[in-house]
Amino acid sequence: MTGRTLAFFVCSPHSRTGVTTAARLLTDYFLSRNADIEGFDTDFRDPLYALFFPERTRVVDLNDVKGQISLFDRLLVADERPKIVDVWHSSYERLFATIAEIGFMEEAQRLGVEPVVLFQTDIAQSAANSALVLKTTWPDLTMSVIHNRGASPLGPHSLAVLARYPASGKFVIPRLEAPIARALDDVDLSLSRFMRAPPPEMSVVVRAALREWLLPIFTQFQSFELRLALQSSQCLR
Amino acid sequence: MAKKPVKITREAPAKREPESRSRKAEAPVAAPNGASRPAVIVVGADKGGVGKTTIARAILDFLSLNDIHARAFDTETPRGTLHRFHPDETMIVDLTEPADQMKIIDTLNTSKAKVSVIDVRAGGLSPALEALDEIGFFDAVKNGEFRFVLLHVIGPSISSLEEIAEIAPYVADANYFMVKNHVNDTTFFEWDPQTHAKYFEDVVTSGEITIPKLSELAYEQVELSGAPFSTFIANQDAQGQPAEHSFVLRGYVRTWLARVADEFERVGLRELVSEKRR
Repeated sequence: MTGRTLAFFVCSPHSRTGVTTAARLLTDYFLSRNADIEGFDTDFRDPLYALFFPERTRVVDLNDVKGQISLFDRLLVADERPKIVDVWHSSYERLFATIAEIGFMEEAQRLGVEPVVLFQTDIAQSAANSALVLKTTWPDLTMSVIHNRGASPLGPHSLAVLARYPASGKFVIPRLEAPIARALDDVDLSLSRFMRAPPPEMSVVVRAALREWLLPIFTQFQSFELRLALQSSQCLR
Repeated sequence: MAKKPVKITREAPAKREPESRSRKAEAPVAAPNGASRPAVIVVGADKGGVGKTTIARAILDFLSLNDIHARAFDTETPRGTLHRFHPDETMIVDLTEPADQMKIIDTLNTSKAKVSVIDVRAGGLSPALEALDEIGFFDAVKNGEFRFVLLHVIGPSISSLEEIAEIAPYVADANYFMVKNHVNDTTFFEWDPQTHAKYFEDVVTSGEITIPKLSELAYEQVELSGAPFSTFIANQDAQGQPAEHSFVLRGYVRTWLARVADEFERVGLRELVSEKRR
């Protein structure tokens, strides 16, 4: 644990970039470390993220002030429990407009809650522009990009595309072969439990491929978490 | 902010020059140069439900946040909505009663508060101005003894404009602001420029103030708390004790109050009420 309360916003202004996959992976990473997390799904019409973690997530409609209250008032509780928000692309504008309007970032800083934006990359310039707007509005915001090579490939000039983003870190989610990826569609498949004890009924091939896929992802999350902990460490200041 | 001239061109009974205005005014009470001139801010409308008390509350918060000591008078007897939110600085009065008029006018120079905000009950604006005129208040304003600011809160319909003709005779020496209150998402009638001009032949305003919309839920929670907007934002209850107000709602109220303050600043309200005596 970092000693701080992290509030992750996994987001993209565009659809089908892998936001829910990233939010799910991050959630499972924390669960694999026995961390108690709280999740929020802003897709109130088709809350897929909430399906994966029904006990730990709440579905919020950000068009409604009551929905905003159930999200932001919880995010500001500095209880050291990581909070993960799966930002539906249709809620993207509303979410950050509300954050600006209510002064969420300033209050979070005051209360010792650290907002972290995990921005899902895609090849469109407008996505990078949106990330730039966030970083310009909140220069101190911790922002990393997530490049999901399967859901949102960046093409042959991926390095150039990534360079457009004003992020301080990068996560890569490798591409997964279709037959293996299908295993992820099972909402009852807990990736954190899988890492501890794969379901015996699962194909050995799928098991091996999934494990090989998950390990580097979880390692990146762990590295990121340690980096954040080091940055906030009093003894290193 | 410079006061704009008022011209009265249309003939109508309501626009007659009030008798007291032609009287020779008494010499104003001298006060040291550089001292603040007491200011009276009247918030009113002849229509009900246009949000007069909300504006008066916002003004009291605005003045308080700018360290301008103010007191308030609530003419909504006996209930006193403004008094409910600002009990410490608000007195419930009946503007047509001489005893209450004395409580306001005769203490303008002696009160510690150099700004007096009068929240006029619905339908009471014209009678209130008439009463102030009868006691010679406007003569004192004309002689530079007091500053007078009128915030006329208009409703969304065109009929609101008709009120302007009624109050025109009293705003010659006032800083007269028209206030459009959108706090409850009111959509204002889009006045045809010619229609608008017709009503404003009689009076030139010092400016127009637009009060932005506030989330209904946030507004409702402040109402329920019975506390000033700034107290709600500070997450305190009406008694000043720590409260459990939602951060989201406090955030909305904070942003709204800041925008309202920007509007007041834009029209120069702070300078107007804290202007030094010449």
